[in-house]
Amino acid sequence: MKKVIVLILLAVVAYYLVDVFSQIKFGENRFQGENVRDFYLDKSKNDLHVSNSVTSIVVNFRGFDTLGEVTVLFLAATALGSVLYRRKAHGEAVLFNASTIVRSGAHLLFAPILLLGAYVFIHGHLSPGGGFQGGTIIATGFLLMLLAYHDYKVSHGVLTWVESLAGLTFASLGLTGLILGKTFLENFLPIGTINDLFSGGIIPIIYIAVGFKVGAELTGVLYTMLNEKEYKKS
Amino acid sequence: MVGSPVQLIAIPLFAAFLIPLLGKAWKELVRITPGVVILYLLYLSVDLLNYTIEHGRVVEVIAGWTPPWGIDLVFSPFSGFLATLMLFMGLLVWIYSYRYQTFEDYDDYEPTLKYYLLLMMMITASVGVVLTGDIFNLFVFIEILGITAYGLTAYYRHRDGAEASFKYLFIGSLSSTFLLLAIMIIYSQLGTLNMADIAVKAHELKPVYKITALVLFLVAFGIEAEMFPLNGWAPDAYSQAPAPVGAAFAGIVVKAGLYTVIRLIYTLFEVGGTYEYLIVMGLITMFFAEFAAFSQTKLKRMLAYSSIGQMGLVLVAFGIGKEEGVYAALFLMFNHAIIKSLLFMSGSYLVYKSKNKYISELNGVGKMMPVTSFLFALGAFAIVGFPPFAGFWSKLAVLTAAADSGMLLIIALILSISLIEVIYYLRVVNRIYFVKRDTDLGITKPTPQAMFSMLVLGAIILIVGFYPDVITGVLHKASATLLDKGSYINDVLSLSQTIN
Repeated sequence: MKKVIVLILLAVVAYYLVDVFSQIKFGENRFQGENVRDFYLDKSKNDLHVSNSVTSIVVNFRGFDTLGEVTVLFLAATALGSVLYRRKAHGEAVLFNASTIVRSGAHLLFAPILLLGAYVFIHGHLSPGGGFQGGTIIATGFLLMLLAYHDYKVSHGVLTWVESLAGLTFASLGLTGLILGKTFLENFLPIGTINDLFSGGIIPIIYIAVGFKVGAELTGVLYTMLNEKEYKKS
Repeated sequence: MVGSPVQLIAIPLFAAFLIPLLGKAWKELVRITPGVVILYLLYLSVDLLNYTIEHGRVVEVIAGWTPPWGIDLVFSPFSGFLATLMLFMGLLVWIYSYRYQTFEDYDDYEPTLKYYLLLMMMITASVGVVLTGDIFNLFVFIEILGITAYGLTAYYRHRDGAEASFKYLFIGSLSSTFLLLAIMIIYSQLGTLNMADIAVKAHELKPVYKITALVLFLVAFGIEAEMFPLNGWAPDAYSQAPAPVGAAFAGIVVKAGLYTVIRLIYTLFEVGGTYEYLIVMGLITMFFAEFAAFSQTKLKRMLAYSSIGQMGLVLVAFGIGKEEGVYAALFLMFNHAIIKSLLFMSGSYLVYKSKNKYISELNGVGKMMPVTSFLFALGAFAIVGFPPFAGFWSKLAVLTAAADSGMLLIIALILSISLIEVIYYLRVVNRIYFVKRDTDLGITKPTPQAMFSMLVLGAIILIVGFYPDVITGVLHKASATLLDKGSYINDVLSLSQTIN
């Protein structure tokens, strides 16, 4: 009986949500006059010299949100580490080595994957991609290695350093703007020529920091969780 | 004015990334740094609050893009008052947690680092929620608040804590999803995320969008504000989290949740009937929570339900509206922060050695722990509204506000529900002082820093009780600011730049 009531309630909620969202014409030109879209496109090109306007929105116009999202990831990794913390690891391993084919393949692919990840976040302001995407690609490289070799170790110390330094870079770039008499996260470096690698002021630097941070954090999360699996409670 | 509002967010973020590195140099810095940061932020916030009371709100633009294009932070007497209150409570919670003994592995480095990081960011996120002037930024801060709260609830890593945390996580994710859907509707229709801009344009929304968005917002924020029936997570989370975290939930997190409901109804949307809705939901929340509290056998669950009940009363006060109602609601929020935190802090030490934290295990503890018991009793008397303690003035303010609006039925209901509260709190105090001790549980003396925190809160309860004037000036100013929607919109949007 309870389940039926729940189902009916969910159906009612779903009906109204579908009804409302199906009426929104996504992808069409819905706004007239002065609006956020025109403002962002215009300023990305002319004021910031960033050709990928998604990046300029994520890192500059809404950079404060991105700083928040980076913090969410950081805290999620922290909370996970706190919940899964064991003073002494004991128990038996449940992971085993993968086959030779997987191991050699992983070994071969590891470096190119890291390179691709770095490429994606370094060119975040020029082409599709950016810090979050590049960082995730790097973490998949480490995941591959963790799956292929059951005794693959990632140094927690190094991850902490990368994480913290990348986060500090983001926060200090923001604070530098404030110290120089501008606003928090406002650009204070020369913006260069559009479409050059060195253009867009602080935007590419922030995105590179985000790339390092996301890569290190996701790797840390994967490592913590795989390690947790490795031990049975005694 | 020494600093700008954005420092209240930026400095703790910077510190959060720095603390893991500082810990490598000297482990104690992991404990000390958050306290120093919060102390500085409190100083900053008090200074800003004094400035805004004299000169009006401070609107801070981020990344150089003025609203509605960019994100802005609004430090007004209203949001500033809440931010200052949160930072003050945060400082006391930090002092209380400093070398708190039940952290079973309290000299283990990793859990300590994580505890202090999460605690500092939970306070920062709450401050961010009240300061931001952008609705998506609000979502981001609610996310941070949620993640830290789930992590801290499960901090002890035992079964019940994990269950409570999972429940909280589940409901919290639902809240985030609904919030995001509501933001999508608003953005797709109005093309703006700025609260002031939404307030201006809200009348352009078609009714179906407006109602759907409002309902989604109310569910999302209602979960955070512990509104009935969305508060199932609260008693578990309060009772399973470490004691200082329980105090922080009552003093800080739920205030952020309530703020969102109030901002939504007072600033974002004007829809007929929302004030009545607040009154009705507030009364229902009070009714169920106080009865639930009455029948609890465990101390912390009783305090948690009582906390929910108090939030119901705050909603009623906000629903009464007008300056008196808002003033009463803010006064209640202030009192609830200091008193309920004191109850959590002292109560945790009273049942410290007990495994199940039953109320019956409090029998006769008054003779063994005189100061802590006295502080608990002081908190109990204050929260039910006995004169001459702080709680009396806020309850009086609610009743006066209701009387001025001619809502006599509401006065009767509030008074009769409060009677339940009086009964169950006095029952506990009676056990502490007048029932003979029948368990052989030992006691644990509070650490000096925990005692300091509790004494400060006790002193504030007495000071506000005897001289309510120390706080009423700020409260009047804050409530006037919240009601002046026109000047909020004007202050924010007058900064606007145009496409050239």
